[in-house]
Amino acid sequence: MANMEGMPNMSIESLPLSAPGEANWRKMLLAIPGTSLILLLLVLWFSFQGVDFAKPSNIVNIGIQSSVLLLLALPLTFILMSEGLDLSQGAVLSLASVVLAAVLAHGGSLPLALTAAAALGLLFGAVNGVFIAYLQMPPFVVTLGTLGLAHGIALVATDGESITEIGSQLPRLYKATVLGIPFPIIVALCAYALFHYLLYHTRFGSYVSAQGGNREALHLAGVNANRHLVVVYLIGGLMVGLAALLWVGRISSGHPTAGHGMEFDALVAVLLGGTRLEKGYGTMPGTLVGVLTVGVLRNGLNLMSVAASWQVVSLGVLVLAALWVESRQGEK
Amino acid sequence: MDQRGPALNAAAPLPGPLLAPLLELCAVSKQFPGVKALDKVSLEIYPGEVHMVLGQNGAGKSSLMKVLYGAYHADEGEIRLRGERVRIASPSDARRLGIAIISQEFTLVPHLNLAQNIFLGRQPVGRFIGKIDHATMHRRARELLDALGLSEDTMTPAHKLGVAQQQLVEIAKALSQNARVLVMDEPSSALSDHEVEKLFGVIRRLQSEGVAIIYISHRMAEVFQLGDRITVLRDGRRVASLLPSETTPQDLVKMMIGRSVDAGYRTRFCAEPGAALLEVRGLCAANGTKDVSLVVRAGEIVGLSGLVGSGRSELVRAIFGADTVTGGELELFGAAYRPEPAEAVRRGLALVPESRKQEGLLMIHGVADNLIAAGLKILFPRGWYRAGVARRAALALIARMKIATPNPERVVKTLSGGNQQKVVIGKWLCAQSRCFIFDEPTRGIDVGAKAEIFALIEQLVDAGSAVLMISSELPEIVALCDRSYVMREGRIVGELARDELSEANILHLAMHPESGHGEHGGHAEHVH
Repeated sequence: MANMEGMPNMSIESLPLSAPGEANWRKMLLAIPGTSLILLLLVLWFSFQGVDFAKPSNIVNIGIQSSVLLLLALPLTFILMSEGLDLSQGAVLSLASVVLAAVLAHGGSLPLALTAAAALGLLFGAVNGVFIAYLQMPPFVVTLGTLGLAHGIALVATDGESITEIGSQLPRLYKATVLGIPFPIIVALCAYALFHYLLYHTRFGSYVSAQGGNREALHLAGVNANRHLVVVYLIGGLMVGLAALLWVGRISSGHPTAGHGMEFDALVAVLLGGTRLEKGYGTMPGTLVGVLTVGVLRNGLNLMSVAASWQVVSLGVLVLAALWVESRQGEK
Repeated sequence: MDQRGPALNAAAPLPGPLLAPLLELCAVSKQFPGVKALDKVSLEIYPGEVHMVLGQNGAGKSSLMKVLYGAYHADEGEIRLRGERVRIASPSDARRLGIAIISQEFTLVPHLNLAQNIFLGRQPVGRFIGKIDHATMHRRARELLDALGLSEDTMTPAHKLGVAQQQLVEIAKALSQNARVLVMDEPSSALSDHEVEKLFGVIRRLQSEGVAIIYISHRMAEVFQLGDRITVLRDGRRVASLLPSETTPQDLVKMMIGRSVDAGYRTRFCAEPGAALLEVRGLCAANGTKDVSLVVRAGEIVGLSGLVGSGRSELVRAIFGADTVTGGELELFGAAYRPEPAEAVRRGLALVPESRKQEGLLMIHGVADNLIAAGLKILFPRGWYRAGVARRAALALIARMKIATPNPERVVKTLSGGNQQKVVIGKWLCAQSRCFIFDEPTRGIDVGAKAEIFALIEQLVDAGSAVLMISSELPEIVALCDRSYVMREGRIVGELARDELSEANILHLAMHPESGHGEHGGHAEHVH
């Protein structure tokens, strides 16, 4: 009897089975078959294009290039699961990297610079969170507003110029390796582990899903839903601030508009990862696969000398196609 | 045990079980602007009893429940638990005190698994920082679900479960909080007969373990089948608390209605209705409408009554084509009609929906714009807008309907409820509709405006239109309608002619004391 009951869980229909709750890797990866398949196909395709895609050094490269995106996509998954949205990530990333670079340029230490960037991220997260949770404004409007705010401040503060005199501390750290693993990848892996733990192994994780799934349930459980929603955005802001470290390390300067469009890549990655904009559904492995898909696509197209603007077009096509397929499946 | 008060005496002392009450409400009142939701309601709940709370729509059942779980704060009176006065200011207070509710709206998180749902906010945490002890949580969830006879894997996300199973999970959630008082709001309303049986088995088991259950119901059969005591509420007051053995369904209906019927608002009823303007045969729809047949003739006001949730709004939405129709034949003005909103409007069928704000009006637009919104094709047959024509049409309607507005441009949002309703009706008049469906036309409207709306409805039928009217206010149906259909669970269960039309008859049909769930006499067993 027990075996019989176990049967349905094996079938594809019973997926996506393990949403937040507990991690079940096999099931979660199966639950995002579309994106996993896309990733696989992209990898295969690029491998046979006669470019250096499959070389070990390039694979490490993809990891490094995807690290910033992962730092944004992880908290963005939480935000979308709470039926929220964050359009301000790219602009805040730009502003935070300007701040970080400015502190370094003025002789400040790296920890001080990082603290300043993180504080700035937290500030924007707090504004987003308070306006959305307590003043109950639509996330779209609020984060569009903070996008403008961050963008404008960055331009005003720099006159549109880059800050390039960032000393040698950060470039050295960025190029460092531990056991042969580059620093950005280590940061990204740590962040992933942390978010995975948060979502699947803490009460907070279940609240994130409940925010989007059934806020009334949180309320009845005696949980302060608004406060936890602010925390979701605070985490979002903090991660953007921390991502500025890798961002400045990567481009070796602070530029007031360099982060623009990162919110687009992050949203694409999270959506490809299977997170829904409703009912509090999202998974961490899904987001990881989504980030790698975006990373592989951008890297591969780069190697094939496809212009950045066409890369954006391809991401748009990809997300439309993937979500269209998914919505068709949902109808059945 | 034999000093029983007369059934209709509100203050009659009750021969409670030989125990101290677990929960007492003492003269609890709750006032909202214009309405007293609870008026000095007192209630004693004993451990191990199933206390049925009965009442019409708006009698105060839901308010009572909300006071108990902290969603409303009582203005007056006090609540005592085991003899001690307690304050229930929030759901978490209620939870701490061991009071849990199973509301009609489920409070499960769809993508969390059953164990997480049951322990949401209270997941057992292990030694490592904030790490949920999944093993313990699932083991305890398993025990709770087993005890309730639910074999579902605790890893299953909640959205995979059916309504009945979700309800059991809700009960498990309540039990995991050591609830001693369980408030259930019409728990059987969404369940099949078999599931109801299973639920009753669970309730009886909880009862035997000393859990007190407050069971809000509008199904007469289950009141007698399950209840240890019955409290009837009406207009926010407790009418009576009594034992099932000392009352009958007829008595209870009488108590629920209470007030004498203010007879015949309408003076002339329709003696000879004209041609059938709307005829429906065997209509089925995806929204739960089942095999409905009805006819509305010119010159008639036909009521559509039933309890909240009996499927009346769903039926008219199906007729209008707003919800998907899956079967049946319809005729409009003698010609076949396929339900579709644009077609309905074109052919002269108007739906005046319950929520004017959401469905009937462009709230931030002017009165005139709203009035002509559905009649554009008629006013401007060539397709271009002529301001003069629009204004004259609007002014004529404002005058005809006595809409109190300083000017035709006034934004509709600023008008009173009654005047808004008139604008909706005027809109359909402008579209030259001849068959009107009203869904709760007087909801949220003061008494004076009500009379005007009634007069307007009467005018419509006197001019040869047909009206189908949904109302939860039984006196309205009785006072206004030429005849009435009564609905229950998506079906029409009866039709009352003018001379049979009374609140008691409607309630009897709507609550079916003698049929339906009466079969569940036997003790339900656990089904695995």
